[in-house]
Amino acid sequence: MWNIYFQDALFAAIAAIGFASISKPPKRAYIYCALTAAAGHSFRLMLTNGSTMHMHITIATLLAAFLIGTIAVFLSPLAKTPAETYLFPALLPMIPGIYAYKAFGGLAMCILRNGHDIFNSYFYLFATNAITCTSIILCMVIGATTPIFIFKKTSFQATR
Amino acid sequence: MRTTTVYKCGSPSPQELCRFLSEYSALLLGCGATCIRLENNVQRIAEAYGKEISMVIMPRHVQISVWEKGNDEAVTAISTVKSSPISFNVNTRLSELSWEVADGKTDFNQAAERLGKIVKDDRQDKWTVPVLVALANASFCRLFSGDAVAMLTVLAATLAGYSLKTFLLGRGTDNRLAFFICSFVSSVLGATDILFAIGDTPTTAMATSVLYLVPGIPYLNSFSDMLCRHYICAFCRFMDAIVLTGCLSAGLCCGMLLMNVGMF
Repeated sequence: MWNIYFQDALFAAIAAIGFASISKPPKRAYIYCALTAAAGHSFRLMLTNGSTMHMHITIATLLAAFLIGTIAVFLSPLAKTPAETYLFPALLPMIPGIYAYKAFGGLAMCILRNGHDIFNSYFYLFATNAITCTSIILCMVIGATTPIFIFKKTSFQATR
Repeated sequence: MRTTTVYKCGSPSPQELCRFLSEYSALLLGCGATCIRLENNVQRIAEAYGKEISMVIMPRHVQISVWEKGNDEAVTAISTVKSSPISFNVNTRLSELSWEVADGKTDFNQAAERLGKIVKDDRQDKWTVPVLVALANASFCRLFSGDAVAMLTVLAATLAGYSLKTFLLGRGTDNRLAFFICSFVSSVLGATDILFAIGDTPTTAMATSVLYLVPGIPYLNSFSDMLCRHYICAFCRFMDAIVLTGCLSAGLCCGMLLMNVGMF
């Protein structure tokens, strides 16, 4: 069981470092990106896993993002970088990319295919994926940015 | 009667400060900072010099008015946001600069000099990033339960796609077209497992081969701006992200049609 969480944390950390490199963080921020992403992603897995909590992915994402935000805010004075520098890359492995393009795929198929049932089927694909994607992103941002506003002084004085 | 204000050495006039803040805002917003950070940083610098400010943040422009406390005459500047790639390094260094000004560690002339240097010094190793991104996307594939073969396929597809993206954007190609082309190339390469029936999770390889293109930071920034009630910027950033997601989905669909693969 713990092996699954360890693997999830490890691959989330690698994903966060790689995706963070696209947005040019300071070099000292990479390690914090990895730590934050590993903690957040494995925590979400723990919440959604059937054998433990079996929570819905949207709520689990909200709680995991809150954890990521809190860790990021308290690590930011140590790294002397704004919390977003590793907060956002740490959230990237949780971005519902597959839902996003499945929604677009469903929309494209609605336009390209004819027939009442086929349209309904693809519209369902579009609507469910679009709603899930939007709600997950919204929960991620609310969860991750709430600690920034709760601990405003710590988060906005990190680069001081 | 007109009065003349004499500014001490290191203390800028409203005109000078307005010009500085205008350039500072354009750089900070262009490198992907949220509106709330921009407001806080600009306010901090203005307070350090004892000036009052008011600002309007639009998606492509920033308007700043600066005036002396107790004086009605304001100086206004409008700057166009620099469309540069997202850079947390620039974001961090600009935030540090605002604190150094606020704490009196740097005078106005030094701050103005450093502003130009911050962007000039923002370089990145062009060989390391594609490898890191490819490893990241392969790890992503693993997070979606892809096997080792799928991870290798995604690694290759991402390496090719990301290098192509860097090349196209470097040549000044429109980023929407670049996203479409890179998504198409990555999805065609990602379909290798399906084409040759190798590995146990070929569809995961194809689905995750384009995920490195998902504009995650613009999505997050847009919702962050929305929470701070910067609705126009939030909507603009969200629409940018939607358009890019649409381009990558179109590229993926074309790749799937070419390889005769059904995923939807």
